[in-house]
Amino acid sequence: MLTLSVSLHHYLILAAVLFGIGLFGVLTKRNAVAVLICIELMLNAININLLAFNKYITPNDFIGQIFSIFVITVAAAEVGVGLAIVIAIYRNKLSVNLDEFDWLKW
Amino acid sequence: MNGFPVLTTILLAPVAAALIMTFIPRNESKLIKCIAAVGTFVSMALSLYVYFSYDTALGGLQFAEKIPWIRDLGVNWFLAVDGISLPMLLLTNLIGFSAVFASWNVDNRPREFFILLCLLITGVMGTFVAHDLFIFLLFYEVVVIPIYILVIIWGSSKRVTKEYAGMKLTIYLLIGSAFLLVGVIAFFVKAAGVLGQPNMSFTALAEAGKQLSAFDQTWLFALMLFGFGSLVSMWPFHSWSPDGYAGAPTAVSMIHAGVLKKIGGYGLVKIALYMLPVGAKFWAPYMAVLGVAGVTYAAFAALAQKDLKYIVGYSSVSHMGYVMLAIGSFSVIGINGAVANMFAHGVMAALFFSTVGFIYEKTHTRWIPDLGGLARQVPRLAVAFMLAALASLGLPGLISFIPEFTIFVASFKVYGGLAVIGIAGIILTALYALRAGANTLFGPPREEYDHLEDIRGPEMVPLVVLGTVLVVGGILPSLLFDMVNSGAATLMTHVESAVKLGGVFK
Amino acid sequence: MIPDLSLIVPELAMAVLGLMVLIFGLIIPRGSRHGLGWFAALALLGVTGLVLAGWNNGGNLYGNLYVVDQFSQFFKITFLLAAFLVVLGSMRYVDRHLGGQSEYYSILIFATLGMMVMSSANDFMTMYLGLELMTISFIILVCFRRLEAKSLESGMKYVLLAGMSSAVLLYGLSLVYGITGTVVISEVGKILAMRAPLPLLMLGVVMLVAGLGFKISAVPFHMWSPDIYEGAPTPITAFLAVGSKAASFAILIRIFVVGMFGISLNWELLLAILAAVTIIVGNLVAIPQTNIKRLLAYSSIAQAGYILVGLVTASQDGVKGVLFYAFLYVFATVGAFTVASHFYNVTGSDEIKDYAGLAQRSPLMAAVMVVAMLSMAGIPPLAGFVGKFYLFMTIVENYLWLAFIGLIMSMVSVYYYLRVALVMYRNDPLDSTPIAVSAPVTVTLVVAMAVTLFLGIYPGPVAEVVNNAAHSFFMH
Repeated sequence: MLTLSVSLHHYLILAAVLFGIGLFGVLTKRNAVAVLICIELMLNAININLLAFNKYITPNDFIGQIFSIFVITVAAAEVGVGLAIVIAIYRNKLSVNLDEFDWLKW
Repeated sequence: MNGFPVLTTILLAPVAAALIMTFIPRNESKLIKCIAAVGTFVSMALSLYVYFSYDTALGGLQFAEKIPWIRDLGVNWFLAVDGISLPMLLLTNLIGFSAVFASWNVDNRPREFFILLCLLITGVMGTFVAHDLFIFLLFYEVVVIPIYILVIIWGSSKRVTKEYAGMKLTIYLLIGSAFLLVGVIAFFVKAAGVLGQPNMSFTALAEAGKQLSAFDQTWLFALMLFGFGSLVSMWPFHSWSPDGYAGAPTAVSMIHAGVLKKIGGYGLVKIALYMLPVGAKFWAPYMAVLGVAGVTYAAFAALAQKDLKYIVGYSSVSHMGYVMLAIGSFSVIGINGAVANMFAHGVMAALFFSTVGFIYEKTHTRWIPDLGGLARQVPRLAVAFMLAALASLGLPGLISFIPEFTIFVASFKVYGGLAVIGIAGIILTALYALRAGANTLFGPPREEYDHLEDIRGPEMVPLVVLGTVLVVGGILPSLLFDMVNSGAATLMTHVESAVKLGGVFK
Repeated sequence: MIPDLSLIVPELAMAVLGLMVLIFGLIIPRGSRHGLGWFAALALLGVTGLVLAGWNNGGNLYGNLYVVDQFSQFFKITFLLAAFLVVLGSMRYVDRHLGGQSEYYSILIFATLGMMVMSSANDFMTMYLGLELMTISFIILVCFRRLEAKSLESGMKYVLLAGMSSAVLLYGLSLVYGITGTVVISEVGKILAMRAPLPLLMLGVVMLVAGLGFKISAVPFHMWSPDIYEGAPTPITAFLAVGSKAASFAILIRIFVVGMFGISLNWELLLAILAAVTIIVGNLVAIPQTNIKRLLAYSSIAQAGYILVGLVTASQDGVKGVLFYAFLYVFATVGAFTVASHFYNVTGSDEIKDYAGLAQRSPLMAAVMVVAMLSMAGIPPLAGFVGKFYLFMTIVENYLWLAFIGLIMSMVSVYYYLRVALVMYRNDPLDSTPIAVSAPVTVTLVVAMAVTLFLGIYPGPVAEVVNNAAHSFFMH
């Protein structure tokens, strides 16, 4: 009989897939806000990784959990700054499309 | 004068002059020139003193100064002179002092010009008095940047633009030095392994070098040969030299052809050959072949030139071929000849370039078909020109005869036919040197040059100083040869004993 | 147990200082905020003094999460001096182009604090926090000229790419954590030394290299840096090129040389190739540049490649080379960028062709630019030569090809540096009015030039210090 149980590998694969989607999005999306969201996706994939490792590898201490809380906090700060820039740039250009950011050569 | 750091003083006198100049208003050009002259004169006087108080009977390193510098690399501020470096030091100062006067008429931004010139002279001197490989390297590349700036601002554009000439000169030398640097660093690391601790002094490195395996010595020597060879304008890495000289202002051509090139030859003898004897033995025949190729190729090229500076430029490539041939002969006589010839050629090339510079300054052309009959209008300049031309073809009684003769003796013993081809080059030299002299100085005088004034006052200084050395060195060759021999004999004793050892085969 | 806080006095002082400057900026009336720059600069010197005072006072805190050794202290001094020079050189720029805002100094101090934390961090979390403190501060600084489109755009690019590279780095860190079960770097080192490398670990290592490669702008992760360097306010560009890079090298060294020492055979070649590619691409792409900031950006990419060379052998000599080079790189880079920023203040241009005749308009600025560039090219007797000597000494035995590439490319770099020298020295100025150099800028320039020359001619004392620092690094 097939027993369905979730193991470390499942978490890791989920995280890897999420991370891959996020990375793909960062590289292909042309909207600044969407790119920020994709970065969030990558960071959350990392959080899944950290928590899964915490549960299966070091169940007795909380390293992974603490780490993931730090990641969440820092990510919030980063997105805060990112959105502030998006707003400032929108005021300047009335657009958040990365293709139109062509003052610099990219 | 025991304990007085005379070599450091020689080294720093032009730097001090340069520092003083930075604080002088830029329009005080007379004062600036006087300061440059004083700075270089101090160096020249002191190096003459060192030259004549060096004890050739004793030989070895004298006037040594040693201060710990960088401990973890085993570097010391180690200055010393021996029979090989002392003639080079003297040569640098003779030419440096003359070069200041050869540029007496520079009126475009004189302050910058003389500051850079003084730094350039210091850099060249430093390589000759350093007895520590690291200190040698510090000075080795110092010279490149002042030269570049001197060429692009005060140079002249004829066949090639001065920007092109300056960049070509710089890049060639730097690429060469990149290879040299790899070789030196690799050698230093290996030597530190042999010695058990890092040490950069020439003597220690030579001890370590001969214990390296033959294979290591061979490839390390190849890197150094390329690095130093491109500086000494060894064929086929010579093409920077005529273009560079043509673009450069007179003083730079004098220093470059006179002494800077000699750093390459000096490095080959004092560093590459001395420290990697087995490698040198392996490459010696190749050096001889490249030397002869350089002699003949450059002599033919000089024959085809109509621009005075190109003639002198190719002639200097050709003469450096003799130096390579001499080093390739791998004998005491050969090294004697190489070092003496470098000295002789330095004086002669500097005199040549300074006269060409004056001719250009007065007539505004270096193009031989446009010149002629100058001997009547500017007799003193003509005398200097002929002196340089005759020295160039090795006339007995002038300084370069005996060195060249020595080279032929040394190389004929080893290479026979090859040496004969080299000797044949002298005929070509005679041809182009005399033809250049004849077409420029003699023949019917041209009316447009009737108003020219002969050189006088400060302009005479380079001609007098360098001309005197040419004649005195020719009449009293022992002044030079006793000195060189004391250095070369010691060096070759070390090298030959090391070659007998044959390198450690691992 | 109460931790020994005396070890982190400099960090605490920096945090207090940052807040103080922020508050002073609010309570001091707008017209009299000039003194704030001087205050920040002197305070930074004071903190440098604190670090120096605790030079021999090593140890670790919080169960080995935070290490204070001479290695980290050397880096801290480097960052603080860089911050000091940048603040000193940018006062006029701040008054003129940034509206004299006090936040500028405050955020700059926080960025420095982030770097200091990075250099001492001995676990992934602390390291990440330091890294992000620095990065977020830099993001704000980069788009500080918020009315200027270029500045905002580069800020946008920086926030996106920094976020992405942090994520990649974190993913690698999470994998390493999963395999070793610890985030303390020295523990990681012990565990990995006893174990054969897993494929998953290799994936983690590659991710780490990619993430940190972004931070040090190693090729092929370098595309962001020229754009951001060009768009950012010039003093910030200088600090970004110096501080952020040096700090990233500090953690790179700690992760790889301490944490991954046991599997060094697996990443040495990777780093060697990365270094070679970075040196080649950085130098070659710099050749056609016409904007001084872009030129310096590409040259600083190449510089990162040279510093990487020291990591390849994971040895004490290599770490020593990195420390020495990072130190001298600060002075050369800050010197060059300060000239660029002051030139921009006066003329409003960053184009190389406008530098024509600078040697006549301001001999000091031209001389500093040439000295700084030639030091980066490694021409003796400037500091860069000694630095390269130390770096390449470590690799000639095993990676001779890299030494060839590095030294030949450094001579190639002379080509584009000399083109700038050519414009400054040979060409006649279009506008021959002399450029006045204000006192703080003069100090910055003179210090940068003097140190670059001094380190090149007499590197002995600093070499000793660096030697001790590298030694302390290998003690634990």
